[in-house]
Amino acid sequence: MISLNHFLAVGAVLFGLGLAGFLTRRNLITLFLCAELMLQGVVLNFLAFGRMHGSLNGQVFGLFIITVAACEAGLGLALFLMLYRRGRSLDSGIWQTLREQGVPAAVDSEALPTVVAEVHPVLTVAGRKPGVGTPAEGASRV
Amino acid sequence: MPTELSDPKLQLAFALALGALGAYLLLPKPKSRSVALGTFALVAALAILGIFVTQSFGQPIGELVPDVLFWLFSTGAVGFGALLVTQRNPARGAIAFAFVILSSCGLFLLLAAPFLMAATIIIYAGAIIVTFLFVLMLSNVKGPSNENDRSREPLLGSLAGFAFIGLILFALLQSQPAVASTDESGEAEFALPAPLLTKDDRVALRDVRTDLDAALATDDAKSVGEKAKSAHDKLAETIGGDGVTGRRKTVLERLRPLLGDSKNPSTHDPRLLAFAKQTLQLQRANDDVEVKYLMADAGRADKASLQKLRDEVTVYSGNGQLPARNVGNIGLLLYSEHLLAVEMAGTLLLVATIGAVAIAGRKKGDNS
Repeated sequence: MISLNHFLAVGAVLFGLGLAGFLTRRNLITLFLCAELMLQGVVLNFLAFGRMHGSLNGQVFGLFIITVAACEAGLGLALFLMLYRRGRSLDSGIWQTLREQGVPAAVDSEALPTVVAEVHPVLTVAGRKPGVGTPAEGASRV
Repeated sequence: MPTELSDPKLQLAFALALGALGAYLLLPKPKSRSVALGTFALVAALAILGIFVTQSFGQPIGELVPDVLFWLFSTGAVGFGALLVTQRNPARGAIAFAFVILSSCGLFLLLAAPFLMAATIIIYAGAIIVTFLFVLMLSNVKGPSNENDRSREPLLGSLAGFAFIGLILFALLQSQPAVASTDESGEAEFALPAPLLTKDDRVALRDVRTDLDAALATDDAKSVGEKAKSAHDKLAETIGGDGVTGRRKTVLERLRPLLGDSKNPSTHDPRLLAFAKQTLQLQRANDDVEVKYLMADAGRADKASLQKLRDEVTVYSGNGQLPARNVGNIGLLLYSEHLLAVEMAGTLLLVATIGAVAIAGRKKGDNS
């Protein structure tokens, strides 16, 4: 039988995943989605407790959380837009100049993997006679 | 004909024959292959097999469906949440987040919150579309980039997140012995929702409703009174309304030592308070029935009040299953108890809108 603790556990896991993502990810939009993930976990907790007590107050709390999430989304996306205009990047790491004095700068030690551009095969041009009497070219064709 | 159809052997044979036919029609071969007919036969076979199983081996669905749905939705929410956190591409992350929302909305529905489910789907559908727009507008990177392919302290961050999960789950584990214990009615103490009416009680209440329906269907005032009396007797028997016998006595006996002692921590147990509140509701319903019955006995029973009583009993019989009138009750609660909070939420939205415009608005002379 599904009990209160099952729902609480799911809420806790959602919150923890969102927390881990919020702490580590560097793309501002992913950060925003991780914060929303945490809010989902909290709403789940409220609803489960409300269901256990047989009252609707938990659902009312859920509605208010959605309201706050909407405010957060509006402000957050406006902030991202402004940051993007200034820095031309969604990377939160470029704003580490805002850190306090004495805090060491985070340095990306590992180099990003370089992607080798795909080499497309070059087809021989059709409709032209091959050069006659040039053995070097003939040898390279074979 | 219906008796023949309800014969389990016939059902089994029919289902198996239809299944074999469907499989034969669907198997690839050069001639006489029909996908439509074969699919239809297979679906019909499955349906008949389902009827056969439920009729012959009992109804497994009642307990099974919520369990299966819970595992499906919770696995979906957690799995897509993990995908969102670990996904490189923010657009794919937004899709994963959409699935997290859908799964958790399924969980909301299991928690008897249909209005919140609909509201969440509608609001987050818009939010996710806007997120997509932002990804398309702002994220024009090709190849590996700092923001998508690097994490800030991945080891410490994931340790922090999972340490949090561990903390919560450990706290839940500590409270587990209380969960496993059952009260004398054999129901788990932390079962969702707090148990008051047992299954038998609900069945009895539905019987009362049937009686009231019958009373409403008759025209003779005398027989209306008789039917209402029998409904009253059944209701009184169900909740132990008369004297000190029956269920009400046991309820009060269980509550009195707990509520009287202010040092007892379970005095503040909201579950217990809900229990007491529901008991009071039932008592009030029983008193209502008594009044109506007395009125009916005097030949003054009017059908409108009986109808109202019937509706109330219907709600009580569903008590503990699903809160009836979800939307209406949420609205009532919002604009009575939480009116101040509603106003504050509105103000918050207004301030957030102004703030968003002020932050994102392009200033004159700003060419960037």
